[in-house]
Amino acid sequence: MTTQTTNDGQLAASFRDPSGFLFSSGGVLYRQVNRAYEQEYTRLMESGLYEKLVKAGLLIPHVEVEQTPAESETSFKIIQPERVPFISYPYEWSFGQLKSAALTTLSIQKRALKLGMSLKDASAYNIQFVRGKATLIDTLSFEVYKEGEPWVAYRQFCQHFLAPLALMALKDVRLSQLLRVYIDGVPLDLASELLPSKTRFNFGLLTHIHLHAGAQKKYSGSVNEGVKSRSASMSKQAMTGLIKSLETTIQKMDWTPRGTEWGNYYDITNYSDAAFEHKKQLVGEWTKRLQPALAWDLGANNGVFSRVVSSVGSYVVSFDIDPAAVEQNYRQVKNDKAENLLPLLLDLTNPTPAIGWANRERDSFGARGPADMVLALAVIHHLAISNNVPLPQLAEFFAETGKWLVIEFVPKPDSQVQKLLVSRKDIFPNYSRDGFESAFKAKFTIHETVEIHESERVLYLMESH
Amino acid sequence: MHFTPLPYLDPGSGSILIQIAIAALLALAVAIRASWSTIKKWFGIKSVKDEDDDDADDK
Repeated sequence: MTTQTTNDGQLAASFRDPSGFLFSSGGVLYRQVNRAYEQEYTRLMESGLYEKLVKAGLLIPHVEVEQTPAESETSFKIIQPERVPFISYPYEWSFGQLKSAALTTLSIQKRALKLGMSLKDASAYNIQFVRGKATLIDTLSFEVYKEGEPWVAYRQFCQHFLAPLALMALKDVRLSQLLRVYIDGVPLDLASELLPSKTRFNFGLLTHIHLHAGAQKKYSGSVNEGVKSRSASMSKQAMTGLIKSLETTIQKMDWTPRGTEWGNYYDITNYSDAAFEHKKQLVGEWTKRLQPALAWDLGANNGVFSRVVSSVGSYVVSFDIDPAAVEQNYRQVKNDKAENLLPLLLDLTNPTPAIGWANRERDSFGARGPADMVLALAVIHHLAISNNVPLPQLAEFFAETGKWLVIEFVPKPDSQVQKLLVSRKDIFPNYSRDGFESAFKAKFTIHETVEIHESERVLYLMESH
Repeated sequence: MHFTPLPYLDPGSGSILIQIAIAALLALAVAIRASWSTIKKWFGIKSVKDEDDDDADDK
């Protein structure tokens, strides 16, 4: 992976918290724990909280290692966390994924409080999907809890989780994309303005979003004596009540897609069962032959073919543009307890950009590659025809994205292509099997060409050169 | 009261004050509910046991 680092190997995204930072050395990812964090780290490890959270699959496991620190004068310990197979971001998650991440954060906070600690941040970027479960990956997120202190991460939790979830569930699921613009979460005044007025009758949303936004506005720029002298206090019981209130509010929120999008993707294509099975069989055979460690399924729908690949043992990231498909895919991952499949939201015509400070905090789609194998099934016509991308540019894109490519060519007479051309001029004279093959041969060696049974479509196995 | 050093993230004055207010409101609701069960007990009505086991999903 080409995750961005600074000159000393420190990860570019790891600079906010003075407790420590991530750095990479010899291709291995380490976390330096600073001396300033000694007390908290020791408490985490010795109180039994670490063990409890790791056992519950809520916190990433790590080992303490004898590694030369990246900054020896500040270093207390070096730890090596378990490597996350693929880093994803909240604006790439479905509703259910963001909800799982939120509930994981609250569940950790409840357990931490019981053992005398508290989360000092509640960033959605600290959560990743590990073995299919939303997991905290920042071992240094804990502080020693002092009775009376309010939750310092409350604002961040509401902005990173509660506001986007409420907007997705109660306004429009596409509003998750606000997280791509606002790296520290959706501003609460914006969420309050966008949410339907009926949400004021929901106790959780009234208080944690609408009144919270009002309080932020009222006290912004003014120095409140209670806060300044830090005498504003709340008991542990009150804190627990606050966490439970957030939890109940989130648990009650749901988003289930309506209409034809839900559940019948493959009913609306022109596949016969034989064609579908033939395609599955080919994908399975080729995956077994290649044994890719990391596969990306681009345009995965609800992940039928991703599952063919993951069943062989590969880790599959299953991308689709449709939030309903990603949601359905994630629900199945949860249901199956699948450990090596990650559904994500992605618009291939405008893939995730690099964002944050100096554009180096969160990686772009491409920077998280290349994959060992890329699947592009029934997707080429959307890119070449709906989005007008010339075939040579498509070949170049796929060659940069992965070493092996399993791609399906959907010819012009196919009803799915005809549908795309029904109300527009056919300006694609090169969109033919010959045109496709010659464009891709410039970047790939074609190893297999198989006509799919009972269909005019062709499946290719190619290797980039 | 002894506080830990100032947090590295700005918790926001408004966010601190509102959470204290919400928590106080919730505590009040709990207190009312608790006394309600005491009242019910006087009349011999059995109260439902509180489900409060967060560790259930540890297993």
